[in-house]
Amino acid sequence: MGIDVNIRVTGGAGQGVHTVGGFLCRLAVAAGHHFHATQDYMSRIRGGRNSYTVRIREIPVLAGRRQADITLSLDPVHLPHVLPSVAEAGIVVCDLPEGGAGDADPRVIAAPLKELAVAAGSPILANIVGAGVVARALGIPPETLDRVLGLEFKGDLLEKNRAAAALGAGWADARIPSGYRLPVAAFHPRMILAGNEALALGAVAGGCKFAVGYPMTPGSGILQGLSADGPPLGLVFEQAEDEIAAMNMAIGASYAGARAMVATSGGGFALMTEALSLAGMLETPVVVALAMRPGPATGMPTRTGQEDLAFALAAGHGEFPRLVLSPGSIEEAYALAHHAMEMSEAYQVPCILLTDQYLADTVADGDPGDFPALAVNRRIVRGSDVPRDAKGRYLRFASTGDGVSPMAVPGEPGITVVVDSDEHAEDGHLTEDHGVRIAMVEKRMRKGGALEMETLPPLLAGPPDGEVLLIGFGSTKGAIAEAREILAGAGTPAVAVHLRQLAPFPVRAVSEILDRYPTALTVENNRTGQLARLIRAETGREVTGTIGRFDGLPFTPEELARDVKERL
Amino acid sequence: MNGTFDTTVENAWCPGCGNFPILNAVKKALARTGKAKHEIVLVSGIGQAAKLPHHVDVNVFNGLHGRALPAALAIRLANPSLTVVVTSGDGDIYGEGGNHFVHNIRRNPDIAVFVHDNQVYGLTKGQPSPTSDPGWTGSLQRSGVIAGPFPPLAAAIALGCGFVARSLAADVEFTADLMVRAIAHKGFALVDILQPCVTFNKKNTYQWYGKMVYKLPPDHDAADRVRAFGLSLEWEERIPIGLLYHREDRPCFEELHPGVGDPPLHARETPADAVRDLLRKRLFTLS
Repeated sequence: MGIDVNIRVTGGAGQGVHTVGGFLCRLAVAAGHHFHATQDYMSRIRGGRNSYTVRIREIPVLAGRRQADITLSLDPVHLPHVLPSVAEAGIVVCDLPEGGAGDADPRVIAAPLKELAVAAGSPILANIVGAGVVARALGIPPETLDRVLGLEFKGDLLEKNRAAAALGAGWADARIPSGYRLPVAAFHPRMILAGNEALALGAVAGGCKFAVGYPMTPGSGILQGLSADGPPLGLVFEQAEDEIAAMNMAIGASYAGARAMVATSGGGFALMTEALSLAGMLETPVVVALAMRPGPATGMPTRTGQEDLAFALAAGHGEFPRLVLSPGSIEEAYALAHHAMEMSEAYQVPCILLTDQYLADTVADGDPGDFPALAVNRRIVRGSDVPRDAKGRYLRFASTGDGVSPMAVPGEPGITVVVDSDEHAEDGHLTEDHGVRIAMVEKRMRKGGALEMETLPPLLAGPPDGEVLLIGFGSTKGAIAEAREILAGAGTPAVAVHLRQLAPFPVRAVSEILDRYPTALTVENNRTGQLARLIRAETGREVTGTIGRFDGLPFTPEELARDVKERL
Repeated sequence: MNGTFDTTVENAWCPGCGNFPILNAVKKALARTGKAKHEIVLVSGIGQAAKLPHHVDVNVFNGLHGRALPAALAIRLANPSLTVVVTSGDGDIYGEGGNHFVHNIRRNPDIAVFVHDNQVYGLTKGQPSPTSDPGWTGSLQRSGVIAGPFPPLAAAIALGCGFVARSLAADVEFTADLMVRAIAHKGFALVDILQPCVTFNKKNTYQWYGKMVYKLPPDHDAADRVRAFGLSLEWEERIPIGLLYHREDRPCFEELHPGVGDPPLHARETPADAVRDLLRKRLFTLS
């Protein structure tokens, strides 16, 4: 298994928790290792108790761990909240006031972070002093520490930060146990991305040219990524006055020929649903990134959940085909966002990318080969390729074998593009004719049939004689994969099933898998087993049970493996 | 009547509906712009007024109730070479779409907005609209409207709209002339069109409007915002029609928004090299 060190930086918002956490991630990669980082933050601008947890291994890291080996606590007031998630053999580095709460706990090592920061030039460098302490604990060579700091700071600021880190590292000598040292490894360039960033990049790489949204945690990071990375590739970004406007704007831009997307969370998506139905009726491609958080209503705005699966599958009045994808890693967030852009346009259906706070805020390193520049295949018909009827008119909703009508855009000389939210005829004008109604419903649903042919099958990992299936979708992928390894090591062969696509549902593939194994558990971040219900509805097969987690936190491999054991 | 923009779509309006003269004015105005049908997009929401685009042979986006403006804005952002005109009812623009009315005046996109203001919800059978007079008895507010009326022109002037006009549906030439000027205006242009509802509004009839309205004199200084605001509040005694306020000193949203322009979004490519450059920024190296 090799080394597996879990480091947690804790403190109030504004104390540099995020800065140090991100720095430790880059330090790990610079030292030739891999990491997986998760964030836990409270819904406020300053203060509160936030943490950034970086797990470092010699192999790519799939999920986070709960218990921290090294904790850097930037605010001693938080110690009582921090200690329960410190490993039994772990340490807590903390600037402890005389007689502080942590005195009695042997795991707490008092460190003069502020004093050393002042010596380096400013008390605000306390977090970098702490980073120096952690770097020494990991056995990171001083030159690597200096080099990574050199990538982040310049001039006087660099000197101060280097001094602060060196003072921390020097202080840590002989004071910090040596058991956390990383083995020496060769450096390889790696992609470093958060889930939200990877998703936004995938959309931009997929030709997204119009992005719009209204800020809502945890989807805002996707909007930030689109507004930062999109414009160099010709994307126009706009912040809408509300989510209703956002979705209607995306559809307007799509009508005008732009690949368009919105990003939001559950409450914002609720406001978008009327227009989601509009996209179904107008057959305008559109991609919705739905970053889930626990509900109902405002729920726990900064925590994670998978409670909107059933909602995403059924959102919008009326019947229309849709694509629902659920990435389980930064690599999949990138690839599926691109896929969503392609499929949404190819079949002229709305596509929902179902993610959540855990994946949104997960940062990890990835193989550059997993982030290719994939082809963008535009399907707009232009010029002499625009089909016309006997009267010379272009019919936006011309009936075709697979239901997909050639899509021209307004501005094309000699034709008009007419779309209507009312039921309409092939020419786009409203109709109340029941025969036309039947034909148009069938045409739209034929697209769903064509879309089914391209359904992404579930990913399966484990032995054919596995004792139990662990079935999940989206962000649970990593925790399930590692839980499977833990179970295998403990003599329980398990098989992981990761669903990347939920609509159209991979009916045959899932049915066949279920028929091969005696026991199947769904693993989902909700209370009611929405995935288990979906499987029953789509395949007619009952899973054995559901391991549900709905406390606002993600699954971790050890906890999940323990829960599985208890069920068998 | 100009036949250029005629369609054969069956009409669903009541005989004598104020939408008919507005439709004639729209066709006249569009003909006078000199634009070809493929260069124009008519955008509407839902309601009897919102069916107007189906009777004009141009590009049509007939979206959801209240949501014409977000779609129209995005069409302009995606392709600013298109002439975008919103034509919808008072319930649609001022009621269900009120938030978009406010924020798009703030943005100031180059869109002409024609509001068929008949002070009633017709298609849903006679409920009061945001502009109904207090005391007016509708099919839902049976003891009379309690809320004060939404003042579209005063609100638009207050929000900084650069083209604020009112017209009377029955006067097709006058309405068409204001429409032409609204389309020519660079920025958000509002034409609130007083329109009788022959079925459900027995108060604000053709005769009533005939008595109440007066045309602004030729020497009206449309650049005077305070004067225009005062005029926009006139309703009880007499109602001014014409171009109350006009200033073009605010650049339109499309001009200020970085990235909007040529080529239109549908023609922009996604070169693999540019994607690789973007990805390289996230590649962690030690140099």
